[in-house]
Amino acid sequence: MAVCIAVIAKENYPLYIRSVPTQNELKFHYTVHTSLDVVEEKISAAGKAMADQRELYLGLLYPTEDYKVYGYVTNSKVKFVIVVDSSNTSLRDNEIRSMFRKLHNSFTDVMCNPFYNPGDPVQSKVFEGMVSGMMVQVS
Amino acid sequence: MSCVQSCTSVPHSDEEMSVPDYMQCAEDHQTVLVVVQPVGIVPEDQFFRIYKRIASVSQVSVRDSQRQLYIRYRHHYLPENNEWGDFQTHRKVVGLIAVTTCASAKEWPQTSERFHGQKEVFGSTLYDSRLLVFGLQGEIAEQQRTDVAFYPAFDQCPDVEKRVEDFVESIFIVLESKRLDRATDKSGDKIHLLCVPFEKKDFVGLDTDSRHYKKRCQGRMRKHVGDLCLQAGMLQDALVHYHMAVELLRGVNDFLWLGAALEGLCSASVIFHYPGGTAGKTGARKPKQSQPADAGKRHRPGAQEVLIDPGALSANGISADTSTEIGRAKNCLSPEDIIEKYKDAISYYGKYKNAGVIELEACVKAVRVLAIQKRAMEASEFLQNAVYINLGQLSEEEKIQRYSILSELYDLIGFQRKSAFFKRVAAMQCVAPTIPEPGWRACYKLLLETLPGYSLSLDPKDFSKGTHRGWAAVQMRLLHELVYASRRMGNPALSVRHLSFLLQTMLDFVSDQEKKEVTQSLENYTSKCPGGMEVITLPDGLKLPPVPFTKLPIVRSVKLLDLPASLRPHKVKGLLGQNMSTASPFIYSPIIMHNRGEERCKKIDFQWVQGDVCEVQLMVYNPMPFELRVENMGLLTSGVEFESLPAALSLPAESGLYPVTLVGVPRTSGNITVNGYHTSVFGVNSDCLLEGLTNVKTGGCLVEVVPSLPRLQLTTSLPRSVNVLAPLSKEELSSRVSLQLFNGETQQLTITLENIGTEDIQSLELTSKMVNTKDGISVTGLPISSPLRHVLKPRAEKSGGTEGGKTEYSHIKSLEAVLNFKYSGGPGKVEGYYRELSLGVHVDVEPSVFFTRVSTLPATSTRQCHLLLDVFNSTEHEVTVSAKNNQDLVLHASECQRMAIQVDRIDFESLPQREPDPQRYASAKQLEEERLRAQGCQINSKLGLCWTIPSLRRQGEASVEGVLNQLVLEHLQLAPLQWDVAVSGKPCDCDVVAQCRVGEAVELEVRLTNRSQGPVGPFALTAIPCQDYQNGVLNHELQDAVTFIGSNTFHIDAVKPQEKAVCAGALLFLCTGDFYLNIRFQDDSSSSGGRELPLSWFCLPSVHIKALDTPPEAGA
Repeated sequence: MAVCIAVIAKENYPLYIRSVPTQNELKFHYTVHTSLDVVEEKISAAGKAMADQRELYLGLLYPTEDYKVYGYVTNSKVKFVIVVDSSNTSLRDNEIRSMFRKLHNSFTDVMCNPFYNPGDPVQSKVFEGMVSGMMVQVS
Repeated sequence: MSCVQSCTSVPHSDEEMSVPDYMQCAEDHQTVLVVVQPVGIVPEDQFFRIYKRIASVSQVSVRDSQRQLYIRYRHHYLPENNEWGDFQTHRKVVGLIAVTTCASAKEWPQTSERFHGQKEVFGSTLYDSRLLVFGLQGEIAEQQRTDVAFYPAFDQCPDVEKRVEDFVESIFIVLESKRLDRATDKSGDKIHLLCVPFEKKDFVGLDTDSRHYKKRCQGRMRKHVGDLCLQAGMLQDALVHYHMAVELLRGVNDFLWLGAALEGLCSASVIFHYPGGTAGKTGARKPKQSQPADAGKRHRPGAQEVLIDPGALSANGISADTSTEIGRAKNCLSPEDIIEKYKDAISYYGKYKNAGVIELEACVKAVRVLAIQKRAMEASEFLQNAVYINLGQLSEEEKIQRYSILSELYDLIGFQRKSAFFKRVAAMQCVAPTIPEPGWRACYKLLLETLPGYSLSLDPKDFSKGTHRGWAAVQMRLLHELVYASRRMGNPALSVRHLSFLLQTMLDFVSDQEKKEVTQSLENYTSKCPGGMEVITLPDGLKLPPVPFTKLPIVRSVKLLDLPASLRPHKVKGLLGQNMSTASPFIYSPIIMHNRGEERCKKIDFQWVQGDVCEVQLMVYNPMPFELRVENMGLLTSGVEFESLPAALSLPAESGLYPVTLVGVPRTSGNITVNGYHTSVFGVNSDCLLEGLTNVKTGGCLVEVVPSLPRLQLTTSLPRSVNVLAPLSKEELSSRVSLQLFNGETQQLTITLENIGTEDIQSLELTSKMVNTKDGISVTGLPISSPLRHVLKPRAEKSGGTEGGKTEYSHIKSLEAVLNFKYSGGPGKVEGYYRELSLGVHVDVEPSVFFTRVSTLPATSTRQCHLLLDVFNSTEHEVTVSAKNNQDLVLHASECQRMAIQVDRIDFESLPQREPDPQRYASAKQLEEERLRAQGCQINSKLGLCWTIPSLRRQGEASVEGVLNQLVLEHLQLAPLQWDVAVSGKPCDCDVVAQCRVGEAVELEVRLTNRSQGPVGPFALTAIPCQDYQNGVLNHELQDAVTFIGSNTFHIDAVKPQEKAVCAGALLFLCTGDFYLNIRFQDDSSSSGGRELPLSWFCLPSVHIKALDTPPEAGA
């Protein structure tokens, strides 16, 4: 399961970022922040290659010593980043994909809220709960 | 000449090459390495000047051939790196240029010795060397030596470049000879095995005769020849040799050298594909002049076009036959292949721990190629790999260098964030705790360079647009680090600036605890170095704009306040040019000139006055969780000289909106614009401009300042009222008094005006007006209360600026009046301005006495009558009521008594007729009311009714106005027809008794004066004598006693207004006695117009005559 989940706005600032509480939160900020370079590169490459055939899942952005960073970008260029522990080898690509799909659906619900101002930090409790479900449970 | 042999001669402790050259790029493979070093004492700046000139000779076209030789200069090179020269020849130092100074010929031997010593260091690999001697000229005997050049001084060496070129040519000759030497080795000869330093011990005791060993030797040599060819400018040959080397080495699993061969292949291909170089801007090489523009189709001059013939790769030797024509395309790698081969090479290098530097450098080179190819993703993979290459124990400096270069490379491929990340790591490395002397300056500089990567600018203006959107946590960390670094650098001004910036822009993201900490440290810094509004320029030219604290406190609205009502300037109306709008020639236009930006510049429709304190109200709040002390808060203005009077305030924690009034005095006149405000918070002075603030409401910031005006202060003899229950009206009063009076009471009020301004008062005008209240009809609800009467007569101005006013009211619950003082003077008067001071007077009127009923009784005289008044005392005190010439009447509380007053009838017609003012009395009804009022007034003054309350020592007048009905009035009125009766020439009235003698004729005269408006008459009058017996019997049968001489009937013709008519008769008394004469109008005169007149007009006095026997004189 994930150790950090982030939602990044179109303009590349965080709308939501949550990490496993036991870890150094700032570290994940750095990790997600730097991963945006790869996300942008992938988007620009994809933009040229396949305008119509849209694959939202960006796959592994980059591996670090301890973590693997995965990316996903919606059609409105909102990015989702999931960081998982490198040691967690049991996690398959399909599972990551389904996590992103869940994240996307939940974020769509957030956007559908007429009281939510697009561009503001996500504060939805439902979204929070869904993210918690995907995070590594710390006992 | 074998390099390997000489390699062993130089002992060294570590076989590893430990210092990577991160600046290396693929095209460096074709360069020859020349070390330029100072020998002995050479001033550093002079050395680097010479070094620069030498280094400018970076490529040389070699004579006799069209080939180019590229030279890489180093002024510092580690000998252990040199030992990898066989592995990759561009690592081998082949030339040495020594720079030295020599003051005299005596020193020369020593200098020469040093030079030789220097040569020894790289001696094993050097092809040639040169010594540049500065300070000597022509004094040395052995100056013919070709490897030494003498110059008198550092700036007198015009042919240095030429000498370097010659030197390069000599290197080329050696290089070429080596190339040819190696390339033409006989296949049968035993080929020496080239090896890298760490391999040497592995090959001890190896079977040198085995096929495997031979192949290895061959492969390595092929690779070496490829290197030499590449250096010598024979690209195609190099490619062929590399290809062959790859084949040979792959066969014997010699991975390290296979990697090197592959890398050589890549380098050659890169050089072919990208003649501009891959080093980026700094290392960009100029394309050779001889090269055609079309790189893809170009043929290198002098390069032989070859294609590997698989058959030529015999197992037993190196075929030198490269002359076979082979297509280039087959040898040169495609751009995609270059990357593939780099990957292979790096993975082969990776198998050897000791080849870390080689691997790392290969990664760097590959990244540069990928950057040119714009393949950022793959480049990032190479970099990712490079991050994990372990080079063993690195010194701190090496770590910094490594992180810096990673950052630079990430930047090269457009990964700004990654670049910033590594730059920050490098910065932190500069000040790692293990470093004895932390480089805070370097750290700070590197940190500044990371700002763009974190999309953080140090200009607060970029953050003023709405809520901050960015990586707050990361940005805040960076700012904290900047603050800390600048503090450790010993630059508190920078710390203050960064900390201010942090507080200003990140306030929404800082926790309460952090807010406390940050402000505390900010106060610590500012105690040493207060923060201000100046731009801080860093040594490298970066400018740090000032950070005004617009959020400490947060301002929500700015409102310019009008002057208090008493100080407000007013424009004299009717003055030419007043309120002339020049904006549009049209009086009305449906097109509204909408300009939203103008709102702030909109002129406010009131004025300020030069020299008077003006106020601006700000609504502020404190976002901090503690009390915020704002000092020196004042206004920033433009347009007019303005003296701001700063205020200090203390806002409670997390305060709600809090009004703050900033004041100042305009010193000149004109238009003033309030641009913003300045504050001093936590020791930081800020100038906050409104234009940069969002969410600030203003009702306009431009206001006119009119020239100075005098200033009046008003004091009254009565205390000012504090509790005003109901404000009189909408207009503002500068002051007010209120008093309580009984109806009819008089109160004196003295108003003192004092000029407290600086200008003289040149004009003063006084007006007054009443404010009628709705509920002023009646106190008791009785319908007979007297109507309001008020007189507000300002008296003539007195000397000393005092003024008296008399207010007089009657019988109303509450009354209000306003006294206005208009005054002007000084420059303001010239401009047509004046000021107005208004004094509100509020009077609560309690009822005193009033008259419940009024009636009249005729008096004995026709010119008089009795007025009967039922007086009611509505007070709770004993009241004494008095009238002129009358006895006092004492009334107890709520008592009603009748009082009779004898009054002379009043001739209303004789009242001074006011000029009917058509404006005031528009209708006849109003005119009539006014007439009645005047009559009432006259009656009042005639009556002089007064009341006193002895217990309260108060007194006042009572008025009968309003209770007088038409009938009473008529009775009180003197008839317009005035009848006078005279007996014997003496006028007779009721009480007068005319005396006469019996037997004598008594003259009787009846005179009529017409004071009415129209002619009256004719009248016929009959005089009838009678005798009153005082017992109710009237005797009219007096033919015996009285006789008329002539007719007893008088005729009066019509009398015109203002005329008199007299008719006279006479009568004779025949006996003594009291006689009365009744003069009556005859009925037959009804035909005349007299009957139409009111009856009261025909009221003639009765005549009382006493007839005596003796003459009156005798009888007395």
